[in-house]
Amino acid sequence: MSPVESNTAVKLIPVSDFTDEQLAAIYNQTRVDYLVPMPMNAARLGEYISTYDVSREHSLVAQTDDGEMLGVNMLGLRPDRAWITRLGVIPNTRRHGVGQLLMESLMRNAEDLSVHFFMLEVIKHNTPAHQLFLKLGFYEVGELLVLRRSPLTHAVDPVVADARRLERHDALTLVGWDRGTQPWTNQSESLANAFEVSGLYLTLADGSRGWLVYQRQKFLLTRFAFKTEAGDPATVAYALLSHLHNQYPRLDTQVENIQINDPHLPGFYRMGYVEAFRRIEMWHGTPPPTLQK
Amino acid sequence: MTKILLVEDIPDNVELVRKALSGRGYEIVHSPDAETGLSLALEHVPDLILLDLGLPDYDGQTLAGWLRAEPVLDSTPIVAVTAWPEETAKKMVESYGFDGYICKPIIKVGEFLAKVDSYLKAP
Repeated sequence: MSPVESNTAVKLIPVSDFTDEQLAAIYNQTRVDYLVPMPMNAARLGEYISTYDVSREHSLVAQTDDGEMLGVNMLGLRPDRAWITRLGVIPNTRRHGVGQLLMESLMRNAEDLSVHFFMLEVIKHNTPAHQLFLKLGFYEVGELLVLRRSPLTHAVDPVVADARRLERHDALTLVGWDRGTQPWTNQSESLANAFEVSGLYLTLADGSRGWLVYQRQKFLLTRFAFKTEAGDPATVAYALLSHLHNQYPRLDTQVENIQINDPHLPGFYRMGYVEAFRRIEMWHGTPPPTLQK
Repeated sequence: MTKILLVEDIPDNVELVRKALSGRGYEIVHSPDAETGLSLALEHVPDLILLDLGLPDYDGQTLAGWLRAEPVLDSTPIVAVTAWPEETAKKMVESYGFDGYICKPIIKVGEFLAKVDSYLKAP
């Protein structure tokens, strides 16, 4: 594909006009040289769209008049908030304003629906994207960690505790519905939309207690939500993780978007989690009162 | 014939590696995703697995974890082929039981082949 000429007209087409296979192909082309490779097949992309409430009608693909693909940008919509995700421009068509056009168009789509508060995450050191978001008025609100734990990590005995398994309904009840300003991937809706969600509730001998809710995929534990109700968060986190990994010793684990100052983190590191990469969390606008409970 | 399993989703990269390795007389078995990669590894029991970390279904680390749990693949070196920053690649290699890593993009084919040879010869 040749670079976009400055006088080339760019068409913006709703994602809903494409099949998941077509969309995955476009998206993967935008990521071939990406800092952290995150390709998706159609099934994974379809799951991503439904789990994160991405609106196909309001998300956009950019292409030239003669049908050459340029890029894609997706819009997640939940009450009073929007999320911008998977922005990508095909490498040799970059630096011609396609990313900015996609961003502005998506934000207009949300504003037409009276949504004025936007969230996104950008991978740390992805300077072009970070600069674009700053230019468009986004501001930084935090730094997020993506952690991994290999199934080859040394086995651990579960910490002695009163352990209760939580089935989906009970797990989602604990998660609640007041997580609207947390990173989009960790909000209540993300867990409620996911399949195979369950949890653990532990009470330790000293009265410390807490819970962990997670999604179990075929080969992977992911989408964690957790809370310490009493006691030291690092101790409770370690105890919860000891039970989880004792139950699923062969599964890989990926935990996304934990705040770098989360007090549970020492428990994760003690359990053998390692940092894969970091994201910068950015907002545009002010969270509406409905999200500030 | 020495058999190498290449798990890689980007066609241009597959072509580059296939061309380079075929010239060496190696047999290449290719998978574009992790689940197929697992099946092919168990079916062929290759002499070396070259594993991209960014795959479209599960990532390369997850696949490495399954491969390492298979006794039949105990003596098969698994090498990450990745565009990740070197520091991250090293961490993943250590955690997930890879035998080493090769950085992408592969620009110097000679160096790439020398690395592949070294993993095949390693005891």
